[in-house]
Amino acid sequence: MRQIRAAVQRGVVCALALAGLSGCVTSTVDEMVFNEPTEGIGDATVVILGRRHASDYETEFDFIECIGDHVMARDSSIEILDEIEFINSLYPWFEPRTAPLRPTDIERLLQQQPVAERLATIKLEYMIWVDGSTVQTNSAGSMTCGVGPGGAGCFGFGTWGNASDYEATIWDFTDRAEVGRLNTSTSGQSYMPAVVVPIPIIAPVQGTACDGMGDQLLQFLSSEH
Amino acid sequence: MEVPLSVSTTSGPRRFRTIAGAAVLLLLAGCGAKEVVVKGNFPPPVLEPIPLSIGIWYPQEFATHEFFDEAKGRAESAWLVRTGEAQVQMWDQLLDGMFERLKHMNGKPSPSQMNPAVDAVLIPSIVELQYAIPAHTNIKVYEIWMRYGFELVTVNGDPIAEWTMTAYGKTPTAFLQSDEAAVNLAAVVALRDAGAHFITSFQKVPEVSQWLALYDEDPAAAPQTGGLGNATD
Repeated sequence: MRQIRAAVQRGVVCALALAGLSGCVTSTVDEMVFNEPTEGIGDATVVILGRRHASDYETEFDFIECIGDHVMARDSSIEILDEIEFINSLYPWFEPRTAPLRPTDIERLLQQQPVAERLATIKLEYMIWVDGSTVQTNSAGSMTCGVGPGGAGCFGFGTWGNASDYEATIWDFTDRAEVGRLNTSTSGQSYMPAVVVPIPIIAPVQGTACDGMGDQLLQFLSSEH
Repeated sequence: MEVPLSVSTTSGPRRFRTIAGAAVLLLLAGCGAKEVVVKGNFPPPVLEPIPLSIGIWYPQEFATHEFFDEAKGRAESAWLVRTGEAQVQMWDQLLDGMFERLKHMNGKPSPSQMNPAVDAVLIPSIVELQYAIPAHTNIKVYEIWMRYGFELVTVNGDPIAEWTMTAYGKTPTAFLQSDEAAVNLAAVVALRDAGAHFITSFQKVPEVSQWLALYDEDPAAAPQTGGLGNATD
């Protein structure tokens, strides 16, 4: 059964945290999935991998880890393999130069008997590729800090913007087919006013992107969500 | 606690000398080269080994390879990147998994050199190394690019194949990561890329491919037999 779901979530998060403050973040999540596993994935495993073959950016390792943690924290029955351990255990087939770019490339990989055996051992069911990065879009302001015998202090104001844009592609490893695509775009503005003590008001741009993508992956993989 | 303002001005010449010495040291530290001894973990390759007994000879300049780049201005630092130790570690690990047998040669293959008996000997070299840091390019990425030279020879030193291969590694800037740590990481990524490139391209080098075809047909006819007389396995 082919199921297409296009969900666009727009949310503006302007929250005052407990001790400090956090900046405003705008987030958009698009989703399109096919053949969602209605019964969950059982004892099979999932790996989330970052794309790192572009010349000017690479998907951050900590972002990939964040998505995996987000999914596993909400459904402990889902086993997501550690990205670095997975890449090392299958060296050199998931390096930027050699990583499969299309689901059909999996066949080429499995022609290597030791690779096929290792993948069968870990019962890999879904391979999720995440491509994108978080960048600083603008910055303005100035701040002066000084130290004297009576103490130290800063005065001024700084502001900067961050934007995240990530796309996740879900491959069904058994069927060698793409079964879903998710996109999350997030932007936010952080501020740092300083009158003696600087007060950072940080917009959790990458964290919001991680939560957005993690929630969508959870809906896809989990039978409970 | 009250901090006296006049400590440095009213103290004696000894204290003044200490402070001046510290200041000079600080200045010198700012001018010194940034040194990176590349260190990393290189996993064994996962593949069906090529049924060959391969020898490896690391020339001295390869095993102790280092790259020095002088500072181009007062605002820049000189860089010394030592890759030799990591190169040997990575290539040993890679070739050991890629071929059925790996043997280290006692000396550069030649008719007069006593070496273990192998099908062929690989001699790597680094022809060129370039690096870029954000201070050079204004892009928040550290990069290392290397061009390797490879010679595949018989144990007698007769050439079988000669080719070059590039490798590239990059790492983005990260919070609380020093320039040295980032350059080290970029070098490790470049070394891993070198291994990946070598594995996927070795059998596609035309001369290697021809030699392997000859070897498959009749191992005795392939051009390694000339060196067996010197073998000391």
